Amino acid sequence: MPYSSTFNDHLENPRNAGEVVDANAVAEETNPVCGDRLRLSLRIVKGRIEEVGFLAYGCAPTLACGSALSELLEGKAVEEALQLTRKVVVEAVGGLPSRKQHAAALAIEALRSALSRSGRAPAV
Amino acid sequence: MTEPTRVYLDHSATTPVDRRVVDAMLPYLTERFGNPSSVHFFGQEARAAVDRARRDVAALIGARANEIVFTSGGTEANNLAIKGVCESAAGSAGAAGEFHVITTAIEHSSVRGICDELEKNGWKITRLPANEDGIVRIDDVRAALQPETVLVSVMLANNEIGTIQPVREIAALVKETRAQGHKRLWLHTDAVQAAGRIPVAVETLGCDLLSLSAHKLYAPKGTGALFVRRGVRLMPQNVGGHQEREKRAGTEGVPGIVAFGTAARLAREEFEQRANHERRLRDRFEAGVSERIGDLVFNGDRDRRLPHLSNISFRFIEGEGLLISLDLQSIAVSTGSACSSGTLEPSPVIQALGRNDEISRGSIRFSFGKDNSEKEVDYVLEVLPRVVEKLRQLSPLKKTQRMEAAAAD
Repeated sequence: MPYSSTFNDHLENPRNAGEVVDANAVAEETNPVCGDRLRLSLRIVKGRIEEVGFLAYGCAPTLACGSALSELLEGKAVEEALQLTRKVVVEAVGGLPSRKQHAAALAIEALRSALSRSGRAPAV
Repeated sequence: MTEPTRVYLDHSATTPVDRRVVDAMLPYLTERFGNPSSVHFFGQEARAAVDRARRDVAALIGARANEIVFTSGGTEANNLAIKGVCESAAGSAGAAGEFHVITTAIEHSSVRGICDELEKNGWKITRLPANEDGIVRIDDVRAALQPETVLVSVMLANNEIGTIQPVREIAALVKETRAQGHKRLWLHTDAVQAAGRIPVAVETLGCDLLSLSAHKLYAPKGTGALFVRRGVRLMPQNVGGHQEREKRAGTEGVPGIVAFGTAARLAREEFEQRANHERRLRDRFEAGVSERIGDLVFNGDRDRRLPHLSNISFRFIEGEGLLISLDLQSIAVSTGSACSSGTLEPSPVIQALGRNDEISRGSIRFSFGKDNSEKEVDYVLEVLPRVVEKLRQLSPLKKTQRMEAAAAD
């Protein structure tokens, strides 16, 4: 198998799959090159991510990264969430081959986009 | 719940080597190691084995033994056929730019690649589309024929969706054109997927060149063959030796050739039994999938196709994600998804059917083999609906579609 057991576990048992009903920060990002999609919905209460949900369409790394990101976000302060990088997501799925790094990039993009739409991201 | 053994449903990619084939080839790796070009006993023993294999491969497709050229595989056979014919035509009468090749948009990547290269070198290439069922129209071939056309290359059966192309009708057209004085026009067909699965007889088909691969027939990788009808002029692509009647230089890969010969003989002897078995499994599988899973698109004509193959797009999910999820459940399949192939474009074959991006990306090929069992099919029928449902739960496309449907009500 090309992927780690952590990766496979995310694929078989995706964490936080679905949409948060009363989300106040939502974003759906598409990789313009391959068409993979990640939809992230967050309920942020007093600067902290209380609930997170993700939906994903694409190759296995996109699905696994969505799940891993959602797990990383559980209970995190928005300020901390903004510090997350692609590298952290890659590590959270137990590594990715170089040509699949874009899956982690899409996850971070969806996160930043959701947080900025909630009005809590710093102006860039 | 289920046995942990792996279920292999990717026989169009490659097949396991039959034990009988292994037994036949092994002595040619050890004591019968001679070079067929050697005059002594060892050489003649190897020569006799290669000749036997040549007769067996010829018999599989109803050809004469001296019309078979052994190659390193299907890709090399396609190269020798297409480049060989084109270079022979160009060499005997002027520059490449004056010549024309007709092929299709649904050929195997090797044929597509060869034609792309010819085009870069100044050849005119016509790539015929397929209809939405994955079959090339004979009228399109007729319309594409020009006085400059030297080769028509149309596969016998497609490798992704298994559709059987009207090669016989195209051959009649080619013969008719030839009879009108267009003497240097040949028909090549890539029969790598078809051989052993549907009857393939070069006289019935009427083709001039036909490619075969051993490893799709339960023999090892690394051996293939090209049928070259007597009288067809071919520029060798490998030079530096007299092997294969000057058409392909290099010491013959004796063990692989012996294996191919044995596999071809078994494929012929067991033809009905294998085809019936695979068709029964495939039909059981498709009936089960249709019953248990909604939002499916079957790709390719349901009648005019190989008996062992099923290509299905599962709406709202992506093929590579499904492939890996099935692999985690010990089920091996393949997909037309771009993510899987390492390219950025989804399967050109499925796209050629006029399918949108989402359907192209969600296509999965299940290809059955002689050693698959009903029990294995039933295991897949148990696992697949669960995996598809899980991925659909995860899919934002499904959600978007549902919202659109609700808005329309």
